[in-house]
Amino acid sequence: MAQPRLFSLVLLTVALGAQALTPSHHLSLSDVARLQALLSQPFTDLASAYYSIVGLSKLGASVADENDACHFLKAQLDPMSVDSLFFAAEASQAISDCEIPVSNETRDILLAAVSEDSTVTQIFRAVSALSSLGLPLASQEVVGALVARIAKEDNVLAITTALQTATRLSQQAELGGILEEIEDLAARLDDLGGVYLQFEEGLEATALFVTAAYTLSDHVDTEPPLKEDQVIQLVNSVFSKKSWHSLSEAFSVACAAAALSNNRFQVPVIVSAQGPATVSHSQPILQLLVTDVLSNPLVSASVVVESAQAVASKSVILNQAPFSLRDGIFELNFMASQPASGYYQFSVAVTGDTRLVANQVELKVKVSTEVAITNMDLSVVDKDQSIGTKTSRVDYPFKAKGSFTADSHQNFAMTFQLVDVNTGVELTPHQTFVRLHNPKTGQEVVFVAEPDSKNLYKFELDTAERKSEFDSMSGTYALHLIVGDATLENPILWNVADVVLKFLDEEAPAAIQSKTLYMPKPDIQHLFREPEKKPPTVVSNAFTALVLSPFLLLLILWFKLGANISNFSFSPSSVLFHVGHACMLGLMYVYWTHLNMFQTLKYLAIIGSLTFLAGNRMLAQKAVKRIASK
Amino acid sequence: MSNSVISVISRFLEEYTTKTSNKLKVVDAYLFYILLTGALQFLYCLLVGTFPFNSFLAGFISCVGAFILGVCLRIQINPENKGDFLSISQERAFADFLLAHTVLHLVVINFIG
Repeated sequence: MAQPRLFSLVLLTVALGAQALTPSHHLSLSDVARLQALLSQPFTDLASAYYSIVGLSKLGASVADENDACHFLKAQLDPMSVDSLFFAAEASQAISDCEIPVSNETRDILLAAVSEDSTVTQIFRAVSALSSLGLPLASQEVVGALVARIAKEDNVLAITTALQTATRLSQQAELGGILEEIEDLAARLDDLGGVYLQFEEGLEATALFVTAAYTLSDHVDTEPPLKEDQVIQLVNSVFSKKSWHSLSEAFSVACAAAALSNNRFQVPVIVSAQGPATVSHSQPILQLLVTDVLSNPLVSASVVVESAQAVASKSVILNQAPFSLRDGIFELNFMASQPASGYYQFSVAVTGDTRLVANQVELKVKVSTEVAITNMDLSVVDKDQSIGTKTSRVDYPFKAKGSFTADSHQNFAMTFQLVDVNTGVELTPHQTFVRLHNPKTGQEVVFVAEPDSKNLYKFELDTAERKSEFDSMSGTYALHLIVGDATLENPILWNVADVVLKFLDEEAPAAIQSKTLYMPKPDIQHLFREPEKKPPTVVSNAFTALVLSPFLLLLILWFKLGANISNFSFSPSSVLFHVGHACMLGLMYVYWTHLNMFQTLKYLAIIGSLTFLAGNRMLAQKAVKRIASK
Repeated sequence: MSNSVISVISRFLEEYTTKTSNKLKVVDAYLFYILLTGALQFLYCLLVGTFPFNSFLAGFISCVGAFILGVCLRIQINPENKGDFLSISQERAFADFLLAHTVLHLVVINFIG
């Protein structure tokens, strides 16, 4: 008895622990339709005919007019060209009753193309044409040529083409070496963020690789060396692009989709909710789409909820509940388990086929409900509790009959309960607001009503305390209750009553204040720095003359004292000295008007040294003269 | 009181005119000129204001510096002080005076703006 419980518990922990990658992209039905439309374009040449016809056949559709297509192929065929033969042969295979005429020359041309000297693409096309036209070919020779070519052309597209070629060869041939190339190529894929796995050569190369890998693996009946995560990442890469710019790209995506939905080893599963993943009393059924990458429902699979756990309370509601299949959609009546409203984490497993990949999916399901407001009691309570409270009950959606008056001595109080309509359980939604709106001034003040421990909501308005929020504007305010939550189907906006609020020291209506907030503000005039007040020019000039006047006085004094230059000797050094000294004074003036310190110092150094030398000489001569005359 | 002051002053003036040599009187006249110039600049600053303050400072310091250098020259060439300045001849004192003035002028012109 306990054993199955224990086993399911182990499975539960394993399921919860395994955070496997799930595909984020696939081809929805509209994507498939778009792909088909692109492939159904009218043919321009043999290559486009090939892509269209074979691509459509991979998607399970067919060309509009098969006869026309066959005629087109036969008309456009160039029996001398290997490429032409390839396109025509492959396309004709996809159309019923279309035979391409074969001649000995055709066979010879194709066989000649199978050699070490042709490119891999040529070999592939020749081999494919030969096999489609039903002509014999020597598989071992082909293998030899392929191996030689792979060694020479070591790029992704060439090796992929080689893999494709190998799918056309006999199973008895030595395909082991070529089979190993799948693993080598897979190692060359670029991992983008752990979500995408693709070649840097682009989408077409990746899609062709996927096709070749699965086709070849099926052909030799060996499981492809791709891990589950890699497969999912490849799925994401190939199907992330929803509009294809060229016919060859669309063709490669169609081939990859066909390979991924129908091969012997790995079939990725896409699990998604039909519409929003929400259940409620009116819609109790959770619908899931379980499909392959082409959005074909996997009708043979069995889908089971391994566990459904409430996100908030972490309690497990469901354990190993199966989905039932109806019209290609898997359904489960979740409301039958009577879950409380909120979010649930579903762990879904898809079984029934050993090939299924990414068959463990985590899904978040919302259970929504309707809320009812009960026991709404409004009252005006005196602050000092001397006068008894007058409580009136109001029923939703009616409005209270009288208005409630509250001045600064009183508090206005409101209590109510929020219950689930269907189960009667008390709810605590995210948003429970009380809005007071003054229709005259346009003021709006919003408060939050909070539940106490018994889930009873209380709102109290202390008139005196809250007067700043109301700007002390007395008047009649309409009181609304707003209840909302993501899990509520009926959010509520209820005009409960009118409340007349009386505030003390009412200020003059400053309600218009807010309107001027967004009006242009007064211009700021820039004040430039006023220049300092200069004294009048007369004063400056007068003082300049005054300051220079002592010089006159000096000259007069010197004259009176009898200072003279009669002793001036015209020796070269004294002349030079005086000239140099005069130059230095002149340099000072030039410094004041034109130069900067560095230039001045430069000139000063030159003139100064000359003056110094001359002056030294002159003074020495003077000293000699003085001492001699003593 | 004022009597003694007047007598002191007149005595001083008498001694000055007779005792000091011409050379020193020439230097004294120069010093007096510098003093007047500085005083007049200061008077301007007091009366009118310090508007180009850097210019006022440059001019004033030029006067002060020139006065000081003049005083130094006077001290050094005074024959009565020969004992204190044995190694410095009159010519040398004059040369020092010129060099110091060059530096002073450089600074003043830089600051005058």
